[in-house]
Amino acid sequence: MTRLVLSLIVFAFAAAAGHMFVLKKTPSVIMNKAMTAMDQRGVETHGFTLSPRLTPQTQTVVRPSPDLAYSICLFDFSQGGVLHVSAAAYDNYASISFFDSKTNNFATLRVGENEDNAGKTFRLYPPNSKARDDPSRIDAPTSSGIILIRRLAPRSADYEQVVSISKADQCRLETT
Amino acid sequence: MKAILSYIGIGITGCLLGGVSALWMSGLLNSKSGSVLSQVNIENWTSDWSIGSAAADGYTRARVARYGLLGLAKSEAVYFIRSVDEAGAPLQGHCSYALSGTHQDALWWSITLYDEQSRLPMNDDQALSIDLTQVGPAENWQAVVSPARPKAGHWISSRGAATFDLMLRIYQPSNLIITQPEKTVRAPTLRKMSCEGAA
Repeated sequence: MTRLVLSLIVFAFAAAAGHMFVLKKTPSVIMNKAMTAMDQRGVETHGFTLSPRLTPQTQTVVRPSPDLAYSICLFDFSQGGVLHVSAAAYDNYASISFFDSKTNNFATLRVGENEDNAGKTFRLYPPNSKARDDPSRIDAPTSSGIILIRRLAPRSADYEQVVSISKADQCRLETT
Repeated sequence: MKAILSYIGIGITGCLLGGVSALWMSGLLNSKSGSVLSQVNIENWTSDWSIGSAAADGYTRARVARYGLLGLAKSEAVYFIRSVDEAGAPLQGHCSYALSGTHQDALWWSITLYDEQSRLPMNDDQALSIDLTQVGPAENWQAVVSPARPKAGHWISSRGAATFDLMLRIYQPSNLIITQPEKTVRAPTLRKMSCEGAA
């Protein structure tokens, strides 16, 4: 009887531990897999890479919008530094969004037409950086992640415009 | 020694079952699409306001990571998914549906079709979505979702998808959409018209 009760207790604790562990790790595992796949496809770390115009044949992540042009920058603070991020001016909807390695969208900046943030450079700091009086400061919760510029580009002509202007996008690691 | 090995075996089994149950409860093993998003439900268009947020619970975070990686927080964009017709039946790629709606209280919106793998369907119809820039400034709009191009009007192609869902994106939603979605989001209506091969 004692053995049966002990077995049930061991099973319950192990099941709860396994449940919580998988639940906690799943987003990080999926994000890490996505980042590795992007890296293998030639997406730059500390530099923006404009994805090809989205079609069924060029899609690489789930649920992409064919009406948006995506520029992607992977970041990795394992060697320290501060990341300088800016998006070239665009005369339609545009945003820069920051995702940590646990899939959280920890910051989004509107940088499109008539937005105050358009053309500005922002500085992304690694986790636990010392406080600095920097109005353009953004703090990364994790040491790696993804930065995404979305630009509204539903027509081919819009996408061609993005191809041209996105060359001025900046995602540059500065180490001291 | 035998008893210890027995407990280790029970522990490993428990761990594995616990892990599988987490994936199941997150909808990663038992869901074909984002129908698992159900925190907000407006006329069968479902969403979860915690997408992109660190405040989301573990199940939502796992689901979103799988089905909507890199989704924006609701202050910038909200996402709704519809995977059933007006009778509650799954949307079928070989059927035709009438889709209609009005503009949203937001900067931009779009509706995109995804197959059962949450991918754009493999076709070259160049009709993957409709959006505000297509339908223009008219207050009301109509479209057809079908595997073949209609004679006229806006079209979303379902060719190449066995079953599918529709995702409504609303970018830069008004504060009212965020705080009172049930009253403010103008949910598009969807009605089945016919199916290929049906008698």
